Amino acid sequence: MGRQIDKHTANVLVWLLLLTAPYWMSWVGGYTELGSRVLVMALAAMALNFLLGFTGVLSFGHAAYFGLGAYGAAMTIKYLVPSTPLAILVGVLAGTAAAAIIGAMIVKLRGVYFAMVTIAFGQVFYFITFRWNNVTGGDDGLTNWNRMPINLGFTKLDILHNPELFYYFILFYFAISVALMTLLLRSPFGRTLLAIRENERRARFLGIPVERHIWLSFTISCFFVSIAGALYALLNNFVDPRALYWGQSGNFVIMAVLGGMRSFWGPLVGAVIFVVLQDYVSSMTANWESFIGLFFVLIVLFFPRGVLGIIRRKATS
Amino acid sequence: MSLLQVDNVSRHFGSLVAVSDVSMMVEPGELRAVIGPNGAGKTTFFNLISGFFPPSAGSILFDGKDITSFPVHKRVAMGMARTFQITEIFPELTVRENLRIPVEVAVGLRLSPWQSRKSDTEIRARVAELMELGGLGAKADRLVGELPHGDQRATEIMMSLALKPRLLLLDEPTAGMGDQETYDITKLIRRLHKDQHLTIVLIEHDMRVIFHLADRIMVLAEGSILAEGTPSEIGANESVQAAYLGKAA
Amino acid sequence: MTQLIIFNVFNGLIIGAFYALMALGLSLILNLSGVINFAHGGFLAIGGYLAYMLIPYVGFWGALVIAPFLTAFIGLIVERVLIRRLYGRDPLYSLLLTFGLAYMIEDGTRFIWGAQSVPYQVPDWLMQPLSTEYFFLTGYRVFMVILVGVAVAGLFLILNRTRLGLRIRAGTLDLETVSVLGVNVRILRTLNFGLGIYLAGLAGVLAAGMLGLSPTIGTSLIMPSFVTIIIGGLGSLPGTLLGGLLIGVASGLTAVFFPSASEAVIYIMMGLVLLVRPHGLLGEEGRF
Repeated sequence: MGRQIDKHTANVLVWLLLLTAPYWMSWVGGYTELGSRVLVMALAAMALNFLLGFTGVLSFGHAAYFGLGAYGAAMTIKYLVPSTPLAILVGVLAGTAAAAIIGAMIVKLRGVYFAMVTIAFGQVFYFITFRWNNVTGGDDGLTNWNRMPINLGFTKLDILHNPELFYYFILFYFAISVALMTLLLRSPFGRTLLAIRENERRARFLGIPVERHIWLSFTISCFFVSIAGALYALLNNFVDPRALYWGQSGNFVIMAVLGGMRSFWGPLVGAVIFVVLQDYVSSMTANWESFIGLFFVLIVLFFPRGVLGIIRRKATS
Repeated sequence: MSLLQVDNVSRHFGSLVAVSDVSMMVEPGELRAVIGPNGAGKTTFFNLISGFFPPSAGSILFDGKDITSFPVHKRVAMGMARTFQITEIFPELTVRENLRIPVEVAVGLRLSPWQSRKSDTEIRARVAELMELGGLGAKADRLVGELPHGDQRATEIMMSLALKPRLLLLDEPTAGMGDQETYDITKLIRRLHKDQHLTIVLIEHDMRVIFHLADRIMVLAEGSILAEGTPSEIGANESVQAAYLGKAA
Repeated sequence: MTQLIIFNVFNGLIIGAFYALMALGLSLILNLSGVINFAHGGFLAIGGYLAYMLIPYVGFWGALVIAPFLTAFIGLIVERVLIRRLYGRDPLYSLLLTFGLAYMIEDGTRFIWGAQSVPYQVPDWLMQPLSTEYFFLTGYRVFMVILVGVAVAGLFLILNRTRLGLRIRAGTLDLETVSVLGVNVRILRTLNFGLGIYLAGLAGVLAAGMLGLSPTIGTSLIMPSFVTIIIGGLGSLPGTLLGGLLIGVASGLTAVFFPSASEAVIYIMMGLVLLVRPHGLLGEEGRF
């Protein structure tokens, strides 16, 4: 019972902080756009963790679906219809459809082999966006477009010029995604994913069609990551192949690990630390990538349970 | 009609023949034991029946249906459940959580993205029932990985029972247990056989357990059937004694 | 037209042999230790840059001999200090670690030698075409194929004729049994890693001569290595060799007819193999 109350308090605290962020961010040396970026990355990391932390499947190519979400959104606004909601829809469809197809192809594989294949597919899409430059803008990225204000009939939401408003726009999508993820993880279906993580053979012999459920988890995970990708493009009014690069996939994983893979909010904590750190270091030196790399190494060696993992340990011991 | 009918199954791995031309018919309500020295192919035989891998030759019928090509989860859905030599449970979940999962699968909820209040109550009741049956009530909220071996095995058996199986395959359920634990598990299995009318096929090394429980025994050695019969027939069989070569009878 | 096809197929074979060389090192490490060495490309770059530094002193041939060993030595240290700690753990961690190393090496080489290509001196006589008719047959390309052939042959010799090779092969199949038989598994893994990195370093020395040396040389070559292993099959070194040659020739041929698709074709092949034989052409099911 005590554990329940603590969880409840933690949830309330998190939402309070998120809801009021634009107001206290400047006190801690931040700015609203940074908060928006943290949210987007947190969503991506949490989406990945649906698969990694809760189903126990090692996927290292999520940047592909993140990127498809981003390019889908950007290309919709630039070439089709200048509508933000439509952009998000297209981005999500693109990312999810790709995940469903690729997932079906690789679901019989396990462990490192599965990871390798996810990395390879990640690069496929990187390569496509790089080469197909008359459509995607190639290495220079897709420019000369921006997120469109939202016309609600009775009012217009100027998410383009109002960073606070855009922050809440992102928070809205974040909240819906988080609510859906929670619902799924707490359901009987979610428990079958935990079973697969805990002991795949036992899960199979309890009548759970393991490959099918892994495919579902993969697709759901990429559904949410493509939402994050679409929001990412809208946030920057820009997208380039870097969004799909293997480094980006690695970033999502490190955020999940850093914050704690076994807890729901872990990736959010990881995203906060990582995005802020990256922001700070890249402003200090041109060689920030070395530091990020070093960061990866140190986390793996000394901090594999992540922040929330350590706190949990302390609480139960 | 037999519940389980295994017809001339064989299985090789490259040039290694693990199981060779083995047949078995198990009637509903029977408790059949499969014994034999180490390396006789008993676990491979179980793997074939439960669908872990397909036979190189032969067929398997369950309740009259040919299940030879069925994947594991389909066989489970038809009513086959299995435990393993090394206990396969969810070590970092509690006993309650371990049992909840197969109960949910059994009532058809495995793909359900939400939970109704009514089914939640029913499921909790069923889980409690299973825990009582397995003597695990007091340890409901302990992590299974932290429990003594006997309780882990009991949990595993209860998880299999949660699936409402018609056939239970138990692979060396008393492996690595001391006398008291062996006694408790044997009692549990006997209860399942008599009170729940479960059909059970059991791999065992401990002869006391075999003679206490089995209706019929099949002896495997080097992948083939060496002998079949009632416990007393097998006990008197000289070639069986020879095959064990010094194993305690 | 025929000449164009021959040119591209030959070119493809060279590239393929080269991908195979790199992928073999990666495969060795993966098969024995279950580690995806994402930093493999980084070691390739290190090999190239070490050679670049050595050439003014010992010439190209000296660098060719020394640089791979130096790279392997660095690899041994990395394995001993960093990777060794992660063997018992979830493969997630070793992958993250090598990711981090890859980042560090790429940025590090950029920091030390700059982001631009550096002038890499290959002996002039090697760069001459061997005949005016087959102008594409530069001495360097032929030399590369020969050297890769020698390296691969050497690798297979080591694996099949030496005690170390026997232990590596046995360990790949069943590491637990090997350790129970009294083999020091820790040293075996370290040596195996070193061998794999040697191949990466050698690949780096050769690649620099053909592609030019810049910090991104490693990361641009690592993806084809991955695809090679996926196509050839996990757990199979002959598969890796085959995979490399196949994708090399495939991209060479595609360059004739659909030039813009020649890079994409390796991914299409990967997709096809995954659909038809998910464990790779010569891969063993249940390996991972």
